Amino acid sequence: MNCVEFERVLLEGEQTPEQRAHLNSCSACSNLLSDLQLISNQAKLLLASDEPSPAVWNALESRLRREGIIRRAEPSRRSFGDLFWRWRTAWLVPVAAALVIVGVLRLHHPAAAGDNAPIAKQSVAPPPVAAAVLSDDQQLLKTVASRPPAQRARYRTELDDANAFIRDAQDAIRNDPNDVYRQQMLINAYEQKEMLYQLAVDHVSEQ
Amino acid sequence: MTDAKRRQGDKLTEAEAIERAKLGDAEAFHALYDLHRRRVYSLCLRMTGNTSSAEDLTQEAFLQLFRKIGTFRGESAFSTWLHRMSVNVVLMQLRKKNLPVVPLEETMEGDEEGTVRKEPGAPDERLAGSIDRLQLQRAVDELPPGYRTIFVLHDVEGYEHNEIADMVGCSIGNSKSQLHKARLKLRELLRMNRAEKAGKK
Amino acid sequence: MCTRDCAAKLITVMALAGVAFAAGEVRKDLHFKVGKRPVISINNPYGPVLVRAGAPHQVVVTAILHSDKVELDQSKSHNRIDIVSHLLSGADKNSGVVEYEIQVPSDANVTLHSDTGRIHAEKLHGDVTVAGSDGPIDVTDCGGGHVHVRTLNGNVSLNNVHGHIEIMSMGGDVLMNEVTGTLVAVNSNSGKIRYAGDFGDEGEYDFTSHTGDIEAIAPALASIDVLARSDQGRVDSDFSLEPKHTPFYAKGGSAFAGTLGKAASSVKLFSFSGKIHLKKRQN
Repeated sequence: MNCVEFERVLLEGEQTPEQRAHLNSCSACSNLLSDLQLISNQAKLLLASDEPSPAVWNALESRLRREGIIRRAEPSRRSFGDLFWRWRTAWLVPVAAALVIVGVLRLHHPAAAGDNAPIAKQSVAPPPVAAAVLSDDQQLLKTVASRPPAQRARYRTELDDANAFIRDAQDAIRNDPNDVYRQQMLINAYEQKEMLYQLAVDHVSEQ
Repeated sequence: MTDAKRRQGDKLTEAEAIERAKLGDAEAFHALYDLHRRRVYSLCLRMTGNTSSAEDLTQEAFLQLFRKIGTFRGESAFSTWLHRMSVNVVLMQLRKKNLPVVPLEETMEGDEEGTVRKEPGAPDERLAGSIDRLQLQRAVDELPPGYRTIFVLHDVEGYEHNEIADMVGCSIGNSKSQLHKARLKLRELLRMNRAEKAGKK
Repeated sequence: MCTRDCAAKLITVMALAGVAFAAGEVRKDLHFKVGKRPVISINNPYGPVLVRAGAPHQVVVTAILHSDKVELDQSKSHNRIDIVSHLLSGADKNSGVVEYEIQVPSDANVTLHSDTGRIHAEKLHGDVTVAGSDGPIDVTDCGGGHVHVRTLNGNVSLNNVHGHIEIMSMGGDVLMNEVTGTLVAVNSNSGKIRYAGDFGDEGEYDFTSHTGDIEAIAPALASIDVLARSDQGRVDSDFSLEPKHTPFYAKGGSAFAGTLGKAASSVKLFSFSGKIHLKKRQN
């Protein structure tokens, strides 16, 4: 078998005894084979290696709404999906906790320029909820501790307002967990607090 | 969250998300998008070579899939369905632009001299060590479109030759020979890149 | 169109000419070539950021730095431009001010951030993402993309904006005039929410507040399915609404629900203790 024949049979995959004999005697073909195998194996590095910009989802969501594929849920359907809503709100608090923790981590280990790793994907175990909320507020205030006094005071006020909303919403939902309006209020209250954390953390990572 | 727990959480979330998406729930669609966006976008980017087209095609693939979510029965994996859809969307786009999806039938028989003798420089040299992602990415971007398609579908995405032949509309033999040529071309590009770098030092 | 371009450029030049450069102020001009749908991000802790649509395929930045305690960092990668006002040691909310006037292609996706300054976006069709703290935020004549606004205390004003809109504010008031879209969502803590428009586009309009009052002014021929609830605040409607098909009841608080016309759009007005008033527009 010569090199040309060897290469032709390469395509078929199975290695025949003639091929093996040729490989043992021909370093050029042996190098070729190992290089092609290396390239083929390393190709997996390119799987899911890139991230689309947020604009892609934004445009997609608009289309889905326009075509009626995303539809407004009817109240009866919402109460059927009660579990889903509880899952969603339960998730928000650990995420908010994780956000702050990660934010503080980034303070101490500043991200390199151009680091677009989404915050929520960092693998940090969130602490138990009740303790987390208190300690997270303290973390947030620590994060803004080095800012001008007026800004610090503002974050304190906003934090109080956000917590007041969460308390009112939690009290209301205890009376009727299936109530769509009360569910929405609670979600909105948590989203406001999440916004506060995000604004505080974004500020830090920029400097 | 450990990787295992997150994966488990994702699986539950995907099944749940599909059911919610059938009812038109916005959060559910977003969850499905988040789970698969990197894979779909990377495929489109590899096959088209530019971010603007890749973004448009990513949007189109998800849109076509989401339009049909009501008919999804769960027999095959959701991701298989989505990725097939993405490949079809990209191939259609390449055809529309008259870009060669796969070059015309060529077999190795016509190529009497073979590859080894054509190699520039010392044929005994191996691509030592490993290839990093950026080098490979750059080399793939430089491949002619037809070679790129087959390489991406087979070596990156993991489709078999019979599946590729089906999707692309060529013969299995053609798919195999184009893949081989693509790998050879990549080898050449990677070696040239190495030589350039060595020269610069 | 040349006339519009020329007019915009003239206004910019005149505005700048009107600014007397104080001692220590430095002006920087930047020019970038970009492709379709570029991404532009401006991060400016202190000072205004004004962004308008300009000629296609280019981004023109004029920045006035108020002192040497602030630097302008810029980077361009493929189709993305990042500009950051980098505060040096000793900078404060006066010495750290940079004033930005930027022209971008109308299909650009922009992300704008300022703590104290005014943020203005005009005539853009791409995504507009704004984060502010105290400064006023206004978005005018924008449509087709997503508009996301977050602020602590700055007032937010949207005029003639269409698309997908999400606004979150703690204490800043949110004023919307001729705003429609597939989704218009406003989440406020104590800030007031005021909407004047026709709730068109068969969209979903969700206005929620903790304590801020909500006022919506709609035309007599609006086509909406409306639900308004407040636990502790007063709730009023100037319209006589048709009853909804599905039964409706609220435990506690005040509420009204019903439809107008073909009920094409869904409107939810929720507050914990703010007042809610659905008014009829006086033509």
